[in-house]
Amino acid sequence: MKRRNFLKNTALSAAAITVPFILPSGRLFAATGSRMADHVVFVAFAGGVRQQESILQRYLDDSQDYPSVGNIMYNMFDGAPPTDKIVYGTDGIISGDTPIPKLLSQTLQQQGTLFKEVNASTVGHYAGVNTLLTGNYLYSQGLKMKPSMPTIFEYLRRHQGVKATKTWFIGNGIGNSLPLLDYSLHPDYGSQFGANFLAPTITFGDDGEKHFKNAKIYHPEDELDPMYKMKYFLDNVWYSQGKPLPNIGNTEEEKAEIKQFVKEMFLKKENGTIAHPPVGDNRDGQTIGYACEVLNRFKPTFSVVYLSSVDGCHSDFSGYLKSLHATDHAVGHLWDYIQNNIPEMAGNTTLIVSPEHGRNLESNNIVDANAFTGFDHSDANSRRIFNMMIGPGVDSNLTIGNENNQIGDIVNITPTIAEILGFKNEMMSAGLTASNNSLFDLI
Amino acid sequence: MKKITLLFFCLSVLATSCKKDDIIYDVNQVNATSYNANKNKLKTISQYISILYANLFQKALSANELVEITNCIESIGDKEVAHEIILSNFMNKSGVTIPSDSLMRTDVNAFIEQTYKRFYVRDLTEAEREFFLNFFVSHPDVSVEMVYSAFSLSNEYQFY
Repeated sequence: MKRRNFLKNTALSAAAITVPFILPSGRLFAATGSRMADHVVFVAFAGGVRQQESILQRYLDDSQDYPSVGNIMYNMFDGAPPTDKIVYGTDGIISGDTPIPKLLSQTLQQQGTLFKEVNASTVGHYAGVNTLLTGNYLYSQGLKMKPSMPTIFEYLRRHQGVKATKTWFIGNGIGNSLPLLDYSLHPDYGSQFGANFLAPTITFGDDGEKHFKNAKIYHPEDELDPMYKMKYFLDNVWYSQGKPLPNIGNTEEEKAEIKQFVKEMFLKKENGTIAHPPVGDNRDGQTIGYACEVLNRFKPTFSVVYLSSVDGCHSDFSGYLKSLHATDHAVGHLWDYIQNNIPEMAGNTTLIVSPEHGRNLESNNIVDANAFTGFDHSDANSRRIFNMMIGPGVDSNLTIGNENNQIGDIVNITPTIAEILGFKNEMMSAGLTASNNSLFDLI
Repeated sequence: MKKITLLFFCLSVLATSCKKDDIIYDVNQVNATSYNANKNKLKTISQYISILYANLFQKALSANELVEITNCIESIGDKEVAHEIILSNFMNKSGVTIPSDSLMRTDVNAFIEQTYKRFYVRDLTEAEREFFLNFFVSHPDVSVEMVYSAFSLSNEYQFY
């Protein structure tokens, strides 16, 4: 098994004297774990994905009582596409009649390990992503408050001393309390270990064009330096009497780099050179394009890309199929872009893909333009998802579990990320996650 | 009967007792806003933007623009970065009402006092006055825009 070989090969280096270094908090720290990869990109294939139309490849057969089966996510999974009643593609002569050409020569399933049947006990969007990022089922917390348990971003930054710009959370909007998930309220962790959140479809969308695009870039020495000196004086006076503000700890250099990045994105947008997928006109495709730019610029140790266009399934099943298909294309593009355009991350990045939860077995009564009924997320079928990981040390072409044999839980994902990046022991020592098992432990 | 007499006597004493005048010391009374002006509530993004815009442009921000700018700020996690970009975008617009640099240099003392009142709604302390007087001497190229930006981005300005 590759992982065992990896562990064997790294045993010597793990036993060697590790070089201690000082964390931003000032605590002396010595790394205890070996990394399987230096970068992890986690695509939260969110919004609620039914197993039936994704991994089980039943297309319309299991949802609309129409006998057409096939794989509409052929960059991710093995399997032939449907041949009858094609509505999942882009619009040609009629809506959805033109499938997007396959992008990857080898599917992600062939390149990595697929957990076909995984449990996800929370079936709401915010609660689902919260679980994905904290490794906890947070039944008792509100929907408009930050997570009460530490996020994976905080574990990484606190235990490995990773800089703020090396941790990104890229969302496809600001709804569903998504911006609240960049750090938790936990007293041992918190904002100083948070991620840089970015909702690029807003930042670089119409609102951003109007209010961000024409921002000045001040001269760092002549203008910013005296400005910051005055600000720091004012802040010091305030700290002596007032309340501190949450701060994710970007240094002045990092802030300048983010501002420069924002400026450049507007230029690239104007020139049409954002790294969008070849067919990337939906919201998820746009988000993936900007995510590629973030990865290229900052080479993050860990980044989460949140996609949720499939949530339209409540009232537009045809749109849901289109979104599944387009997002599969976008995820394929993301992997392809990392391997071919970011040399620092190529061959040194693990991609993890997981829906936040599934969708119902029984449809609701809302009918779309193709007379297809929609699906909400509230019954037992909503607790069924798949997980997939691809990267160094991950077995290729391995499938774990099946429809009748559920293996894995959504709370196994955070320990998996921690294991890949070498801080699983520290995370487990904190004792704040629901499971100590990573997906590797279940193989 | 005795009780009624005693009650009547007490009420008479109370009614006729003298009232002591407030002591007035021989100094002028000054209405000063307290240090930090008892600010203990964090402004929401909308409040911050509305107040900042009114402060810089001396007029109210439209409801549509308020929503748009709030969305923009929410789309970036590091609020300091988001505020800096929004602020520098404001500074790039026409209509910003700020004094000229030459006017600032003519009476630095008055400028600092006015700036504290304009942004912090309070008087400055002598320590703060001292800092800025020295700062302007050691940084002769500091502009009004830089000073206003520093105040706009400061943590105290986030509270009310």
